[in-house]
Amino acid sequence: MMLEKGIEEKTFYLNLGPQHPATHGVLRVVLEMDGEFIANSEPIIGYGHRAHEKMAELRTYQQYLPNMGRVDYLHALAYNQCYCMAVEKLTGIQVPERAEFIRVITSELNRISSHLLWFGAYLLDLGAFTPFLYCFDDREHILDLLDRITGSRLTYCFYRFGGVPVDVDEEFIAGTRAFISRLRSRWNDYDTLVTKNVIFINRTRDVGIMTPEQALKYGVTGPNLRGSGIPYDIRKSEPFSVYPLFDFEIPLGERGDVLDRYVVRLQEMEQSLRIIEQALDKLPEGPIMAEKVPKRLKPPEGEVYTAVETARGEFGIYLVSKGDVKPYRLKLRVPCFSNLSVMPELFQDVMVADAVAILGSLDLVIPDIDR
Amino acid sequence: MTSPIIIPSLEAILGADKLTELDYAATGCHVRAEAVPEQMPAVAAAMLEQKFYLASLTALDLVESLELVYHFASFYQLCRLVVHAPLAKGAAAPTISHVYPGADWFEREVFEMFGITFAGHPNLKNLILPEDADFHPLLKDFVASS
Repeated sequence: MMLEKGIEEKTFYLNLGPQHPATHGVLRVVLEMDGEFIANSEPIIGYGHRAHEKMAELRTYQQYLPNMGRVDYLHALAYNQCYCMAVEKLTGIQVPERAEFIRVITSELNRISSHLLWFGAYLLDLGAFTPFLYCFDDREHILDLLDRITGSRLTYCFYRFGGVPVDVDEEFIAGTRAFISRLRSRWNDYDTLVTKNVIFINRTRDVGIMTPEQALKYGVTGPNLRGSGIPYDIRKSEPFSVYPLFDFEIPLGERGDVLDRYVVRLQEMEQSLRIIEQALDKLPEGPIMAEKVPKRLKPPEGEVYTAVETARGEFGIYLVSKGDVKPYRLKLRVPCFSNLSVMPELFQDVMVADAVAILGSLDLVIPDIDR
Repeated sequence: MTSPIIIPSLEAILGADKLTELDYAATGCHVRAEAVPEQMPAVAAAMLEQKFYLASLTALDLVESLELVYHFASFYQLCRLVVHAPLAKGAAAPTISHVYPGADWFEREVFEMFGITFAGHPNLKNLILPEDADFHPLLKDFVASS
């Protein structure tokens, strides 16, 4: 019905979702099955459409800020940052260095919490319950730290045009340092429990291989792309904020399979810890907000494109201003949209049991796709 | 920072006067190109040859007319290209989904949100909106109840 290619009468249709625990949101995938094998597949999206782009045209620049915590709620601070960068670029607001450092520290903490949630939920998809308890224990510490200074635990709305509203204090810094050493002491547990687990390796090795060509043609970014061996990370390739001041690496996979994408995310958490550690060491004194940011923001006519590296890849904002208090057009280029569009290629001729393993490995946040 | 590679191949398709180098620090893009929608399949093919990916494809409702906006970027060098392709209301644009399969969904989204048809698209139907939705929310004359 949904798919047109139908090979023969012996195929049948199977719905994965929209209410399925492994889709992590309301995603429906129509699978055309040839026995145990997937002949064709088509994702059906839009169940969580909230018209974020239309909302931007109806709200002032400041009023739209809280929306940015609700597109990809798992890495909300990166979305905050991208939107602030777009407006700051358009209006020419300079952000003080201390504010940029605080943005990097909080955004990287948020990235780790996002990867930890993926780690737990993904292994739960594969049938391993215990790692979920470990990583939610660790993740809770990040939520407490961010709660202290941002006031929220998930849908953060913390950055402002020109800086951040609240400074970090000694307790936050000490807590973050304690968290860094705590999480480092856990890598060994994670590795022995999962990464070196032969059942896990056999389940994920050579499953769902994505080639660099596929990634290029579909615009796949983030850990999914780096799992296929392409060293593209916007924090390095198109440095924004104060990222050039820090020394960190881009973990890469070789085969582009599910296991590579897992390893990349796990190693990225350690790189994020390195960034946070250096940022805490170098944290400069000074103001946290730019002076004289007008209450009623009216950017001049023009258009701008800004991109940041979120936990899932390139998030871009294309912002067009006609000199009004509201954006004329705001396009959200979300990473999961392109990352999901490649999925039918990865599903081609694999067994249905692998479908969940592949789908989960793409780390999709469905409300991010639906916007 | 402008890449020397993409300029010649785009000049051959669009003509030198259609390309502008932008201030990257102020706009986030290195090159801006003006095209007519009929040139987009050739532009897309040239960009794919240079190993650029399609970062975004969207449209603008300028009330009198429409404009398609394509953003390309590269995994291998810092270079962002924005292509503007003006379009009369009611006109169709050719698809680039045979060049970039990732454009399939972007075009479906522009189709439902702005009512722009893409000629040659293999599966042009609503993507995010319900399948029977016959309105185009991102047009300026669509009034949303906020």
